Amino acid sequence: MEEKVLTRHFGVEGLFRIEVYREQGGYKAVEKALKQMTPAAVLDEVKKASLRGRGGAGFPAGVKWGFVPQNVPKPRYLCVNADEGEPGTFKDRYLMNHNPHLLLEGTIIASYAVGIHAAFIYIRGEYEAVALRLEAAIDEACRNGYLGKNILGTGFDLDVVVHRGAGAYICGEETALLESLEGKRGHPRLKPPFPASVGLFQCPTVINNVETLSNIPFIVQNGAEWFIRQGLPKDGGTRVFGVSGMVQKPGIYELPLGTNLRTIIFDYAGGMKDGKQLKAVIPGGMSAPILTADEIDLPMDFDSLAGAGSMLGSAAIIVIDKETSILDVLKSVANFYSHESCGQCTPCRIGTAWINKIVRRLADGEGEQDDIDAIIRLASNIKGKTLCPLGDAAALPILSICQKFRRELEGYLSHA
Amino acid sequence: MPRVFFDDRSVEVAEGLTLLRAAESAGIHIPHFCYHPAFAPEGSCRMCLVEIEGLPKLELACSTLVKDGLKVRTMSPKVVEARKGVLEFLLAEHPLDCPICDKAGECKLQDYFEEYGLFRSQFKERKERREKKFKLGRNLILDRERCILCTRCVRFLNEITKTEDAGILNRGIYSEVGIFESEFIDNNYSGNLAQICPVGAITDSDFRFKTRVWFLESRESVCSLCSRGCNIIMDSHPGHPRTPRPRRVYRVRARLNPDVNSHWICDYGRYGYAYLDKDRQDKLVWKKGGRETRLSWDKAAQILAEKIRSLVLHKKNSRIGVILHANLTNEELFLADRLFRRGLGVEKFFLADPPPGEGDDFLLTPDRTANRRGLQEIGLPVQAPGLEALSGLDLLLIFGHYLAAGTSPAGLENALDKVETKALFSSHKTGLDGLVDFIIPVPVIAEKKGTLTNIDGRVQAFAAGLDFEGDGLPEWRALLDLAKELRVETKYFWPLTSPEAVFRALQKEIPFYK
Repeated sequence: MEEKVLTRHFGVEGLFRIEVYREQGGYKAVEKALKQMTPAAVLDEVKKASLRGRGGAGFPAGVKWGFVPQNVPKPRYLCVNADEGEPGTFKDRYLMNHNPHLLLEGTIIASYAVGIHAAFIYIRGEYEAVALRLEAAIDEACRNGYLGKNILGTGFDLDVVVHRGAGAYICGEETALLESLEGKRGHPRLKPPFPASVGLFQCPTVINNVETLSNIPFIVQNGAEWFIRQGLPKDGGTRVFGVSGMVQKPGIYELPLGTNLRTIIFDYAGGMKDGKQLKAVIPGGMSAPILTADEIDLPMDFDSLAGAGSMLGSAAIIVIDKETSILDVLKSVANFYSHESCGQCTPCRIGTAWINKIVRRLADGEGEQDDIDAIIRLASNIKGKTLCPLGDAAALPILSICQKFRRELEGYLSHA
Repeated sequence: MPRVFFDDRSVEVAEGLTLLRAAESAGIHIPHFCYHPAFAPEGSCRMCLVEIEGLPKLELACSTLVKDGLKVRTMSPKVVEARKGVLEFLLAEHPLDCPICDKAGECKLQDYFEEYGLFRSQFKERKERREKKFKLGRNLILDRERCILCTRCVRFLNEITKTEDAGILNRGIYSEVGIFESEFIDNNYSGNLAQICPVGAITDSDFRFKTRVWFLESRESVCSLCSRGCNIIMDSHPGHPRTPRPRRVYRVRARLNPDVNSHWICDYGRYGYAYLDKDRQDKLVWKKGGRETRLSWDKAAQILAEKIRSLVLHKKNSRIGVILHANLTNEELFLADRLFRRGLGVEKFFLADPPPGEGDDFLLTPDRTANRRGLQEIGLPVQAPGLEALSGLDLLLIFGHYLAAGTSPAGLENALDKVETKALFSSHKTGLDGLVDFIIPVPVIAEKKGTLTNIDGRVQAFAAGLDFEGDGLPEWRALLDLAKELRVETKYFWPLTSPEAVFRALQKEIPFYK
């Protein structure tokens, strides 16, 4: 059994309370970073650790921090992306619920490294209980001198605020998140400029996923080399995989990056449920292109999945069995993106809705011969042409389903 | 300066320009809907995507900045295909009501479909039904089915009027432009929304269903309804093709002038064109002994010149009065000064202007005349006409119909009664008409040619936006004819035969216009 990092103490009763967290070695990394390391040294260590963003895009966290200009008079901000809207994904909820102080510790260290004195945790509105738990943890951290003014007597100040979203998937997109946080409609911004230079309230801003930041204390404590050893040289650390669908034991599994997908499904998650047969796997949240049953001998890391034409994304593994109709999968995907498209740009607004209308017609038994080609053509016209990544997130899984399961889909066409 | 290649054409462009503007400066049009030069790039319509060598994806021309050596393809198969894709999406949910849409003929969606689309619709689904005539503003009707959500209207209200009246409501395919309930858009610049809408989503109730745009003739002009001098386009047409009638203005639009009005005009200027048709003088008449006689200008000019000549001969210059107004062109004011004051020694100059109105802090000035600055710079010694000053005159030349507005009818009648001969050069019928001996119809600024000096001292030349119908003639012509008839300074006045020639003469004598 590989060593767990983020979820190691999940079994400990009351881990969400600061005393228990400290008993397990919590907040040592903050002490070390703030008292023994310069911000530049922290940044350097994170860069060396090859920590890639856990939200989905896999951008190296250290590089992202490095983009923030230090010589501007404006304040800098940190936004913790806890919107976790990607269907199939539930890892951040577990991380925050079980171990809120770990996220706070990562937040403090990241803020210290980049010179930030205000951080916002943007959490999806549905995570009501988690948000309350985070707020309680922030209170505890303040009372114990880990947040607020003059943290641990080092002169470093940081305030953390929890902000609840209102239920839009698009607000997980970092610039839409910023708009929403500013009190506006959650519409993605045109990039460039990137948030690192022009972000929240027009100020330089770092946006990191919950899991990304939760890794920071371990990198500070154990060093970059140790961190890389937990995963791969170009993709350090572990990943908290969320397995759902037709498996015996759905849940979260923290495993080294590069663990084989088949192993995760058949060993860790206990294999297929009730003797069902594997048909397909969505390996990285709903926006990841689908893999067929014979494509799952793959190491689960960013580059391997990209090489296989899919993506690691949020590492949410959705397992689909043979009894599940692929049309139902397509219907679910098409409906979701049509519903969640923010409507700002043309291809996504109209393209996702158009595809959804065709798919619904297919499901009503009124599909025509050229409909699958039409879906493929429309999805191709969305791909790479939208303002934000939501367009690709919709187009890629739809394209992969239509291409890889074309024969099954054709079976649903009316033959009148 | 960076050098950019557009489709292998090397172009030197200014630093900091976007690809779209740089291409435009090189005469290459990159299609777009949401981009508008007055606003920051929005990037939402996705129509302006172009190919940049070395980049895997198509990039936005509206927001990508030029860089030295950039190789841009604006017409490659990939780009044209992408445009077609965007058009297909937009048209899928767009009603095909072009035959009853006011925008037809000047609609970007139509134009681009002709250019890049021309596909058969493959949309087999049910189109979303939306509200077809939502009252968005005082003169604005929103058709939500036609709307392509470019958000130009929203951005105009956020960035230009800063009234923030509109926004996008709902999400995805259900997104729509909306306003606060019961608070429709009502500001002095709302008419611009219909003009900047790239499709027929926002139409102008003032123009709605009145004509088709391809019947219109567009002429450039300068707005004369306040002293800003906004640059405009006057769209007019001569009635139905089979039953020709006098040319009428159907619509006034803003014309770009970055130094005066940018892309905008106010609603006062946009909708205030009714005066062009209403109560116009149409007959040149002479009223003698209670009888009204029509006569030619040549004849009228002879009679008036004779009167002036005899007064001047008898050293009765002080018994001649001239009433001017600040809606005369620079040329006309200059000629009035040159002929009457310096040529004939007339001293009594009065001013009768339309009353001031309310201004705003953007374009509209409280002064409702177009050329007050010109009047000041030319330096005519004008005074407001106290009625008592008019008594004792033998001849009064009245330019403009504004005298009636500022005075009591009885008082005016009394004062004018004592003046022997009164000639009125006016564009509009007023109570003044009954009190004068001659009525000479004249064009309004929109119907003549010349220059105006706006409130900031900017001299703007304009040509006739509309034809002048009827008996009379423009004031500059009338003044030159009188000069000719009077034979004053013939060497000076005779070569002046056009407003341009008069302006050149003015430039020689008035330093401000050099």
